[in-house]
Amino acid sequence: MEIKRYNLLNVGVGGQGVIRAAQILSYAALSEGYKVRTAETHGMSQRGGSVASYLRFGIEVEGPLVPRGKTDAVLAFEASEAVRIFNYAGPKTVFLINENIIIPPMIHQMGMDYPDIKQISEFLKNVSQNIYFINANEIANNLGNPRTMNVVMLGVLLGSQTIPLKKETLAQAILNYLPIKVHNVNKKAFEVGIEKGKSLRRDFNE
Amino acid sequence: MSKPYYAEDIPGKKIIMLGNEAIARGILEAGVVIGAGYPGTPSSEILPALAEMKKYFPHLKLEWSINEKVGFEVAYGGSMSNVRSVAVMKHVGLNVASDAFMTACYAGARGGMVVISTDDPNCYSSQNEQDNRYFGLHALVPVFEPATPQEAKEMIKYAFDFSEEYHSLVLFRTTTRLNHGRGDVILGEVKEINRDYSFDWDRSRWVCLPSHSRVLRVRLLERLDEISEFADQFPFNSLKLSKEKINGVRYGFVAAGIPYSQLLDALNFFGITNKVSILKLGLVYPPPKKLIKKLFDSTDEIIVVEELEPFIENILKQLAFEEGISNELKIHGKDLFPQNGEFSAEIYLENIASLVGLPYEKVPVPENMMIIPPRLPILCPGCGHRATFYAIKQVEKKMKTKFVNSSDIGCYTLAVYKPLEGIDTEVCMGGSIGLANGIAKIQPEKNPVLAILGDSTFFHSGIPALINAVYNKNNILVVILDNRSTSMTGFQDNPGTGITLTKEQGIRVIIEDLVKGCGVSPDMIWVEDSYNLNKTIEKLEIAVKAEGVRVFISRHLCSLVEANQLRVQDIKPPIVKVDQDKCVGCLICVNKFGCSALNFDDSEKKVIIDQATCRGCKVCIEVCPQNAIYEDIES
Repeated sequence: MEIKRYNLLNVGVGGQGVIRAAQILSYAALSEGYKVRTAETHGMSQRGGSVASYLRFGIEVEGPLVPRGKTDAVLAFEASEAVRIFNYAGPKTVFLINENIIIPPMIHQMGMDYPDIKQISEFLKNVSQNIYFINANEIANNLGNPRTMNVVMLGVLLGSQTIPLKKETLAQAILNYLPIKVHNVNKKAFEVGIEKGKSLRRDFNE
Repeated sequence: MSKPYYAEDIPGKKIIMLGNEAIARGILEAGVVIGAGYPGTPSSEILPALAEMKKYFPHLKLEWSINEKVGFEVAYGGSMSNVRSVAVMKHVGLNVASDAFMTACYAGARGGMVVISTDDPNCYSSQNEQDNRYFGLHALVPVFEPATPQEAKEMIKYAFDFSEEYHSLVLFRTTTRLNHGRGDVILGEVKEINRDYSFDWDRSRWVCLPSHSRVLRVRLLERLDEISEFADQFPFNSLKLSKEKINGVRYGFVAAGIPYSQLLDALNFFGITNKVSILKLGLVYPPPKKLIKKLFDSTDEIIVVEELEPFIENILKQLAFEEGISNELKIHGKDLFPQNGEFSAEIYLENIASLVGLPYEKVPVPENMMIIPPRLPILCPGCGHRATFYAIKQVEKKMKTKFVNSSDIGCYTLAVYKPLEGIDTEVCMGGSIGLANGIAKIQPEKNPVLAILGDSTFFHSGIPALINAVYNKNNILVVILDNRSTSMTGFQDNPGTGITLTKEQGIRVIIEDLVKGCGVSPDMIWVEDSYNLNKTIEKLEIAVKAEGVRVFISRHLCSLVEANQLRVQDIKPPIVKVDQDKCVGCLICVNKFGCSALNFDDSEKKVIIDQATCRGCKVCIEVCPQNAIYEDIES
């Protein structure tokens, strides 16, 4: 299938593996012959700040940035980060959200409130009809390596048919960017994520 | 370590690359020998990518220089010696290098010489968003700007040929989205240059004293004329004309760099790409006058799409005036597009739709908007800087006064935020000491003046300001936060580690010796491990109360670098816990010290340490007034 334009927005907190995911996804999209563009957050924002990466691929892609409302999917490694970029999504955007909230330390010091999963979920339901939460931290912990969370989420992205890429190319891309000693655990993480994605797919509102 | 993909010698192979890697690849393919610069986002990955290629291409001679001016001079020395050379820096780095740059442009290039300036619209990681295209106009040298990673690679390769053909320096300007965006790039051949590399004893050219410079300036102007003549054939400029009208008007667009790519997306979105004329510039200065005149002749309204200043817009308006058509031809630019920040993708859609008269619905804002407090970047868990700032606060409290904390560029700038609120100024590299010199001349004695800066920043440009303080007896305390790393830009080495860009052993420069050499009296220098909080407080109080120029070196390896070293050596850091019986929930550790590993359990009203985040620095043990925090040696 020829893809004209596919727009993904991947968000999270510095250190969660957003840039690694951008490397993996862009490598996979290129190996399927697409023109690829990304825009990533490097430098200052990585010190525990919000991180966002745009990924675009297809035969009609020129610039790296996605217009508001035109995102096909939001892949959020941290739940509240999905809210920050909500205006990039439209009613059909698929949100795949790791059901995990990292409260910025400054919130305590400023005596402010931070939203919980319920509030986040209720708000996002006004934005799109496809909001799905995945407990990727728990899945990764059960696999014995919390750092596989991002690969679990990539599995969900693929298994739910949210991204038009082949399993083989994405699996190859994952291995290409990770050290050999963590290949096995990440292969498992990817498979578990795919199964989770497949079960989510049944609930999608087309 | 395996061979990096951008070092592959397989011409024709298509791979995905970060913009900065594509630039590094282009530099390699061009046969460049010398690369020098100073780290600064968004330029920081270019020289390290080249350094990784050195193993396979040993002709490369690369270095992190002490600052951008020296980096520029190193590269220019290479050009004088007939080798292709590149100087790499962020936009504000060119301010530092500009003293050398402005005059070097007079004498011009021998070996191809390119200066990379990475601009940062929206100040993603910068103190300003200056538009360095003006440096080309100012120094009378051409400015190249690529639109995609592939074009960046091809264009920088071409820039070295161009530089040698016109004997001119080339300013290669990019913006953050080009540097930190990935794209598909086709590898080319790595050029082998066989020529005589040696210095050229042409004093009339390299000695820029008045009698020579007057002659060199005439030659510089002639060169710019020649380049200007050639601009219409510049291979990365292109003009696509359309005779079609939209709502009765023939539209023309002009853009370069990332805005050109985003403009194409927007035109494709409306399906009008073939109904408008488009002038794409790869050479943003000097302008291709014939192409611009052709565009004038074929359009009724022109829209210049450029971030930051109206650089191209003003050039077009000047040309329209010279042609005597400034009354009939409408040239839009900053009347439609903002002069600040980065253009989001929808700015293009909204502005084109409203100008041309096309339907475009803005994305509606949902009801019950959810406002989330910002997630600002913070100092890492275990960061020695946090401990030092906490100590400074304690001394301030003890002395019942307020310090003026003049500070600088680096991770520690993040101490401006709560809870530390530990810095009062930040302007430019090394500026902390310079500003403190001035503030100390005015500030009453009850308010001690501190200059707080990092190791790399001190080496970069803090040293002259320290000598200035000694010489002029400006009464300041300089606090050097020596974490043995240039961390904010990606943990680059510096003279304090003695390890070079190519990971070879250089000579380590000892900060204490350097400070003594600047004229600071040996009894006015204190050194302490940043993790020893109480000792730091004790020594710091003495240092604050002393008279004259004083230096306090607070030293501990960057906690991220240390954590990585421990992981490689398979050493477990200390385990620190909170004794739940002793914790009274006073929250001093959370609300005053503010390490992100310290969490408050709202239900129990106690503090707990997140073991996944904690680096085991043990500073919080000394922070806790209840002695509730302890090192768990048994587990």
